[in-house]
Amino acid sequence: MDTIRIMLLVLTVMTIPLRLDALQEDDLGKVTYDRWCSECHGVDGSGNGSAAGFMLPRPRNFTLAQYQIRTTASGDLPTDQNMLDAINNGAPGTAMPAWDDLLSEPEKQALVQYLKTFSRFFPDDEVPQSLDFGGSTRTSEEVVAEGRRQYEAIECWKCHGDQGRGDGESSPTLVDDTGFPAAAADLTENWFFNGGDDVEDIYRAIRTGLDGTPMPNFSDVLDAGVITEEELWAVAHYVRSLSPEEVPGISEVVQARLIEDLDVPRSVADEIWNETEGVYIPLVGQIIVQPRWFNPRVDGVWVKAFHNGEDISVMVRWSDPNNSPDQAWSDWKSQVVTTMEPKEGGDTGIGASPDQLVVQFPMQMPEGMERPYFLKGDSRRPVYLWEWKSDRQTALEGEARGVGTESFQAEGQDLSVEGVHKDGQWQVVFTRPLLTEDENDLDFITGEAIPMSFFAWDGDNGESGNQGALSSWYFLMLEEATPTAVYVAPPLAMLLAGALGLLMVRNAQKREKENI
Amino acid sequence: MSKHLRHPLGRAVLVLLGAYVLIEFGIAYLPPLFGIPSGPVPDTVLFQYLGTVVVGILIWVSDNETRWSEFKAPLHKVMVEPEKKRARLALAVIIPALVGLMTFNQVKPSMAAPATLRSIHPAPPGQIDFKGETMELAGLENPLRATGSMEEHYESGREIYVKNCMACHGDGLAGRGHYALGFNPGPASFQDVGTIAQLTESYVFWRVAKGGPGLPNEGAPWNSAMPSWEDFLTEEEIWSVIIFMYEQAGHEPRTWEEEGEH
Repeated sequence: MDTIRIMLLVLTVMTIPLRLDALQEDDLGKVTYDRWCSECHGVDGSGNGSAAGFMLPRPRNFTLAQYQIRTTASGDLPTDQNMLDAINNGAPGTAMPAWDDLLSEPEKQALVQYLKTFSRFFPDDEVPQSLDFGGSTRTSEEVVAEGRRQYEAIECWKCHGDQGRGDGESSPTLVDDTGFPAAAADLTENWFFNGGDDVEDIYRAIRTGLDGTPMPNFSDVLDAGVITEEELWAVAHYVRSLSPEEVPGISEVVQARLIEDLDVPRSVADEIWNETEGVYIPLVGQIIVQPRWFNPRVDGVWVKAFHNGEDISVMVRWSDPNNSPDQAWSDWKSQVVTTMEPKEGGDTGIGASPDQLVVQFPMQMPEGMERPYFLKGDSRRPVYLWEWKSDRQTALEGEARGVGTESFQAEGQDLSVEGVHKDGQWQVVFTRPLLTEDENDLDFITGEAIPMSFFAWDGDNGESGNQGALSSWYFLMLEEATPTAVYVAPPLAMLLAGALGLLMVRNAQKREKENI
Repeated sequence: MSKHLRHPLGRAVLVLLGAYVLIEFGIAYLPPLFGIPSGPVPDTVLFQYLGTVVVGILIWVSDNETRWSEFKAPLHKVMVEPEKKRARLALAVIIPALVGLMTFNQVKPSMAAPATLRSIHPAPPGQIDFKGETMELAGLENPLRATGSMEEHYESGREIYVKNCMACHGDGLAGRGHYALGFNPGPASFQDVGTIAQLTESYVFWRVAKGGPGLPNEGAPWNSAMPSWEDFLTEEEIWSVIIFMYEQAGHEPRTWEEEGEH
């Protein structure tokens, strides 16, 4: 009897570490999830965490087992690797960050298993199968042209628009499976593609669709023999070609190139704009003063500038699916306004509002590195503003000494503007003399680093007033004609150095001779 | 080789090269190895430091008669000896060319953004005005640590964090929220050992309550996107979000006792 007892005791003791391990693994997933994921995705995985209202697209609802980024067929469950990749890479263009270096490998593995427990759809015994995509075909001009033909044939443009800026005729009506507005991706900004930016990622999205969103899968069309694999790859190459080859780096300086003896380009159609690439400036929601805005449509602007010593032209372009206000987008607008937290603005989002752009400069060039507060200046350091609105064909010059103190000049407008909306893009050109009579206008001096920043609003996305997008300070620099000093000073310095050296050597040699 | 290195001129050149390497690469790249932020040294500062080093070297070589004559002997040789004519000619070309290049770099128009020097943790004021009341920062402790349940403070701090701070400072507290790229300077990473881990909670309270506009000039207040949270949050809410930040990032706040030891 005693021996049996002892054996049982030993056995029990032996199993304790095992059970502890098992417990820890289960726990690790839950502990990690509750600590890092639950505030957005909800403790119960329903996508309703306390931060959910502050973001669009909303956090994934794990109870539905619908995963956008998969290598498996549409409607199928994701593989463990798919889920792990989503955790590691995050979803660019959304609030989901990349967790690759923030969580440990065991934590991530445990998370994947824990996420599955939210849904009864994950079976114990079946392993989801990845589709075979073959390898990427090579790209070429012909392939891209073929991709364009197929882009039209399979009607990608219906949502993504003719030039891919998410402005297709269906785009205002898109909602995801849970009823929230779903913007068609702007295909000219691949760094915001939530499943990755290269051609393989694009092809995967086309083949498997983004489950839970209006993005369908094209494997069915392939299986039906309507399109070939090669043609679908061509579509992926075409889509990839719509974005820059490299993700635009952040450059602090917008250079206004000097064009001597020419008028500055006053129209968006002027060919000279094609001569320069432009600088990309990312914009984010205004979340600094109330009412805040966590869902800006304008996520970046491209800026170019030219001057001729007399006038300066600055062109700003950005993706915006429509010219607001537009009846076709009124449902979209009210859905966005009702969806987004926090409701600090009352009903400011309701009612027709135009698209807007404000370019901001200091009113006086600051001494040293001091600048006005980037959010419309302050009482000590006012800012000088250029304001353009889509519902009028003029631009105003104004000033501000803090948010809400903007005022615009009634007379002495030195600024002219042209704004054109085409293919889901605004192009706005401001032109002004470098120097004006008005003492409230900033004088543009060549060679100076002039602080410059941007504010943008998409009226039909519910944006107006403080609720829009903004950037912090960048610099505008007007190219100088090469100063004469550049031609004179270096040769002079060389001559001086040579003469001094010669003198030294002469002296030394003379003394040497005298010593002998 | 070692003969050359023992020679005063060889040593002078060695010290100068060593100083250059240390200033140009050491200051910029060594601290990041230990997780401390750093930046490249501006050229003007580099020249200033090297100038000081040259003066030091000259004092050292001229300090002693023999060393001085030893030091200048090779220079003298190059200038006078007939068989060194080639070296002389080469130097006559190289030195003016270098001078010309340096002058050109000085006078050519630059299209680079001006360097902004910003103090990341400027000295806090002794007291602040918080919603009409004066708060002494020196010696101020987080009052929530002495009352109620830490669990609850953490939970309410967490909700405030994700609704207000996360867009910039990120879910992972690493300063990589989806709005982070929109701002320069970028949001602080609380995971970094150089931020909240080396600050007292009262300092963090000041930064949260007053935000960018409350920074002194050396902190470049004009470009900081940090809101003044006193406009949004109560005193207790700010203290609770501070508890959450330390707990979530796994750091301990610096205490006033430690502070006193310095």
